[in-house]
Amino acid sequence: MGANLRRLVSWEGFLLGILVLVIIVNTSRAPAYLSLTNQINLFQLSIEKIIVALVMTFVIINGEIDLSVASVMGLAACMIAVLFESGVPLPLAILAALIAGVCCGAFNGLWVAYVGLPSLAVTLAGMIGYRGVARILIEDRSIGGFPAWFTALGQQPLLGPFPLSLILFAVLFALAIIILQFSGIGRIIYVIGNNAAVARYSGIDTPRLKLGVFVASGLIAAMAGVLLAARLGAVRGNTAEGFELDIITMVLLGGVSIFGGVGNLVGVGLAILVILNLRNGMSLLNVTGNVQTGVIGVLLILSVLLPNLVQMARERLQRRTTQRKEVQVETETSASS
Amino acid sequence: MHGAPVLEMRDISRRFGNTQALDGVSLRLYPGEIHALLGENGAGKSTLIKIMTGVHQPDSGQILLDGRPVHIGSTLEAQRLGIAAIYQEPLMYPDLNVAENIFIAHANRGPWVDWRRMYRDAENILSQLDVRLDVRQPARGLSVAAQQTVEIARALSLQVRVLIMDEPTAALSAHEVDQLFAIVQRLRDQGVAILFISHRLEEVFRIADRITILRDGQLISSAPRADVTPERAIRDMAGRAIELLFPRRDTVRDRVLVQVRDLGRTGVFSGISFDVREGEVLGFAGLVGARRTDVGLALFGIAPADSGTIVIDGHAVRITKPAQAMRYGIAYASEDRRGLGLSLPMSIAANITLPMLRRYLTPMGLLRRNAEASTAEEYRRRLSIRTPSVEVEVSRLSGGNQQKVMLSKWLNTKPRLLILDEPTRGIDVGAKAEVHQMIDDLAAEGVAIILISSDLPEVLAMSDRVLVMREGRQMGIFNRREATQERILAAAMGQSETLTS
Repeated sequence: MGANLRRLVSWEGFLLGILVLVIIVNTSRAPAYLSLTNQINLFQLSIEKIIVALVMTFVIINGEIDLSVASVMGLAACMIAVLFESGVPLPLAILAALIAGVCCGAFNGLWVAYVGLPSLAVTLAGMIGYRGVARILIEDRSIGGFPAWFTALGQQPLLGPFPLSLILFAVLFALAIIILQFSGIGRIIYVIGNNAAVARYSGIDTPRLKLGVFVASGLIAAMAGVLLAARLGAVRGNTAEGFELDIITMVLLGGVSIFGGVGNLVGVGLAILVILNLRNGMSLLNVTGNVQTGVIGVLLILSVLLPNLVQMARERLQRRTTQRKEVQVETETSASS
Repeated sequence: MHGAPVLEMRDISRRFGNTQALDGVSLRLYPGEIHALLGENGAGKSTLIKIMTGVHQPDSGQILLDGRPVHIGSTLEAQRLGIAAIYQEPLMYPDLNVAENIFIAHANRGPWVDWRRMYRDAENILSQLDVRLDVRQPARGLSVAAQQTVEIARALSLQVRVLIMDEPTAALSAHEVDQLFAIVQRLRDQGVAILFISHRLEEVFRIADRITILRDGQLISSAPRADVTPERAIRDMAGRAIELLFPRRDTVRDRVLVQVRDLGRTGVFSGISFDVREGEVLGFAGLVGARRTDVGLALFGIAPADSGTIVIDGHAVRITKPAQAMRYGIAYASEDRRGLGLSLPMSIAANITLPMLRRYLTPMGLLRRNAEASTAEEYRRRLSIRTPSVEVEVSRLSGGNQQKVMLSKWLNTKPRLLILDEPTRGIDVGAKAEVHQMIDDLAAEGVAIILISSDLPEVLAMSDRVLVMREGRQMGIFNRREATQERILAAAMGQSETLTS
């Protein structure tokens, strides 16, 4: 723990500080800002990305990356639309979309885990390939007209004021924390992310676990794609395009190291809150979308820089205090002699 | 003496937090002298080197070069003053070739590279060292010994006056050590001052002109080699007398645990045959490149054998995965504890339970941290791992304590055959004695042990029998009475004196 824990605590503290600041500013501008309805609204606008960010945390801590998630989301959405259009009952279409997601994840995972190709390249190919399949399926149409129960699930509250997607997120978040921070699988994900050879030399079936993480990534991405279709009510070939970068940003901003092995879900949860509230607050202040993206970018750079700067400052401070002590000792001895 | 010292460290002190790493240490390096620096891990050797090379600044004290006080603010400044260091693991740019690696510090000479001149100069420097290396060959794939030569050549290209060598021989075979020493002696004759650090006493006594010993940040003694004996050096280092060689008990039982016949892996090793009995320590001796580790990896299923047979408890088995080897009761503690043996950012407890993690999970798959902690505490006591808590990150422990954590990790699998690959490399004298004690205790419990070690006195002292390998082939098995340094070295170097047990 030690150094890493301190590093994370300081970064999470920083995120928390920003979050409080943003909320104070936002509330002073719009008193209803902290109301439940507004916060739920905030969440719902990005809920699919947030859900995928959870599983992306696993992938990155495991020392890999999955660039294909947005394309899997798009493919899943297109599949249910096209299947539904051709007369397949919607529940079956959803099942088919989820299975497709599992297959996409397994395809990525097999190359990465068993052939040893870099996930950056494999999932970049997946990102292009799965998007291509989606576009072939749907061509340049926009398919909508889903049954009312489906769009209602995507848009209306299900339990009290909470829509289905938010409830799913809460359940998945709790599950993800339990798995990553408290289970044996989570422990092994960290060990592999730190140094896969150590895991292998300890008798751990590293490839199987990596495959599992990619399959989970595919499945969750497909599920998020279904939720997105339900919320939007219509699907096109470019649905969810470009989402992968927002998703990876959330994870890295949460203090997860792009090199694997470092980070946790508390940080990612805080990063998600910061991004949502910051963007919303800037909109309230009439800051344009481009500037908003710029601000998030600066935060992302800080997330890499700050831990290092803190470390350097701490070392310098330590040196100075030891020097001062010694100067004192010297003056004392020279005074007594 | 040799006139005036090149480099003089005067009354150097340096503190890190609560640790006084150096406490008023003075040292003089003369041109044309090989000066050995000895001390346990944590004695302050590394700190002293880092101050000489500008990595750290002293809190107090003076550094004099040619009698004039200097300030060494960075490694670059040290380089300009003619002070260079080479380490156990050479700093190489694997994709650059030998000549580029030699002249890497000369990169600031305008935008164009005069390739022909660079290759010529590189060849000149290497021939000055009497070394044959293709200067156009990329550094990737060079042996550690060759990489060190390149590093020495790099220092020479910078007109080095003080060359610091920090455990340069730890990863070298005996033959390569000889070659390195020839180079070092040539440098000395050219008037370079050499500071030589090694854990291997016999090397120090072979090459050093003067021996200085540090303990707990203080200078204990500094004397010409002729005035120092190995026993006294060890006493000075440890502050107490330590037996040079460990007295093994007779623990070999009758029951043969593992029979290996004609084991091979294409292109790596072949024709390996031996038995290991319960309670027996079978030493694997050989020079670097003898492929001893590969035999260990084959038995552990990391790089499986593709010919020959392994019989355990009378049953022929095929081992293709570490998990399988572990089921047969085989454990392998790697020579590379930082790269392959331990997950450095994880806690001591998490490292110890890793191979047996399943035993520390609830039926739901959640971690039982209390059970992990109590296992870790048990090993902390048993192997006296010095740490404030078992939740401390392994990266913050000293080399000897890291080694103990790695051994705990494998002891916790309750192995019947324990393969120890260089278990005492790079650890201090005290920890080394503790590891030897542990090996003896395990053997007494009936564990069969394969001890791979490049430390020949260690292999001889600890093993019941010694298997000698050379370039992937078995050269013979010597029992305790037959095994002498001369015989084993002769076998390891291919002198044909065939002997079997």
